[in-house]
Amino acid sequence: MRIYAPEGAVGPSAASLAPFEPVLAGKRIGILDNSKPNAGLLLGRVAERLATRTGARVEVVERKNAALPAPDDLLARLAEAEVVLTGSAD
Amino acid sequence: MAEPLEMLDIASEDPEAVRTCYAERGWGDGLPLVAPTPERVDAMLAGSRGDADEPVAVLPPRSGVATRRVIAVNGVLAGCRPEHLPVLVAAVQALARPEVNLRGINATTHPVAPLLIVHGEIARTAGYNAGAGAFGPGNVANAATGRALRLLLLHVADAVPGSGDASTQGGPAKYTYCVAENLAESPWGGYAASVGVDAPSAVTVHCGEAPHNFHDMESSEPAAILDKAASAMASLASNNAPVSGAEFFVMMCPEHAAACAAAGWTRDHVASYLHERARLPAGDLRTAFALRAWAPWQEALPDDAPMALTEHPDNIRVVVVGGPGKHSSVIPSWGMTRSATVPVELVTPGGNRR
Repeated sequence: MRIYAPEGAVGPSAASLAPFEPVLAGKRIGILDNSKPNAGLLLGRVAERLATRTGARVEVVERKNAALPAPDDLLARLAEAEVVLTGSAD
Repeated sequence: MAEPLEMLDIASEDPEAVRTCYAERGWGDGLPLVAPTPERVDAMLAGSRGDADEPVAVLPPRSGVATRRVIAVNGVLAGCRPEHLPVLVAAVQALARPEVNLRGINATTHPVAPLLIVHGEIARTAGYNAGAGAFGPGNVANAATGRALRLLLLHVADAVPGSGDASTQGGPAKYTYCVAENLAESPWGGYAASVGVDAPSAVTVHCGEAPHNFHDMESSEPAAILDKAASAMASLASNNAPVSGAEFFVMMCPEHAAACAAAGWTRDHVASYLHERARLPAGDLRTAFALRAWAPWQEALPDDAPMALTEHPDNIRVVVVGGPGKHSSVIPSWGMTRSATVPVELVTPGGNRR
């Protein structure tokens, strides 16, 4: 006998990742701090090390509420950077 | 138009066999499942009109497309009957409202679960329990509809523990969490109409914790009854403490509601009193939570000021639920979410929607 699978289709994604920059020298690094404890500290240190190793520079630092989507104006400012670091949980 | 749903071959429609077949693919809630055969799904869809494969909502984080057919499949799996499908469709519509913030609900480490409250005519005609033991167990409509909503979150939204659902401990309300409003014994009329949804039938979703009981056996004074609710609300142990714009749902039993109404108190009076009484010193809240989402004027309160656990009385939602006895409950919020109330679209025997 046959039964249905329960998942349904996957809809179009709201956003996709930009292609990764092969060379970071001279590029701008952004940080999106999601306000979780130590997220800004962790991402800031990682960004500093990345900048030191590659010749990129940290230019945009933004902070958002952990539980809500980032507002459009914040995303527009971050879009000025070629690389954005984000993602930190509890 | 969505793609046709995938079909699976299975040797038996025994609920244990369906559970095993699904579990091998990472599906199910751990309990036996009713086989979603085309015959059962068609019967589930018989009471609704239009294209069953048109999207009703897209559910994050998977961006899964919930059509009425997909909703019916999960309804069958959970043990729903065809008369429950309109409630389930409305519940999905409510969950997908942006103010509910379903992506956050599924992503958080908090044990939040959507409480589904059924209002109006369909609560009676489709057999939902608004009386004794309304939160369960024992009633098919409440149990199966709440379970189906969770199965939709697991399957369509991918709210699977450890991946799409990051809840640290999970919670029993994540199995099934559905109740009906006791409209017949509400002295204040229906909840849905009080928030501007004037339809014969409606549903509300409130994404919060499991209910916290409070009892008052001896008092007929509203203040004495409600001080106990306020005590449950004025706690550091809920997300309402660091998120001041969050809602509380206060589920009043008919006897407590009648005592308040007999003293001339309206639903708004109850909310205003609780807003006044459910307070903690602002300094205690600040000490407990470095990370806060408070209004600027609340941040300016001195440490010894008694601060309300929610910013405005409108955030205190009062619904009458339950049977005989003097037990009511408070349901705190996850925080960064708002409840949503939407009408249930019904199809009459003549085939007309209303």
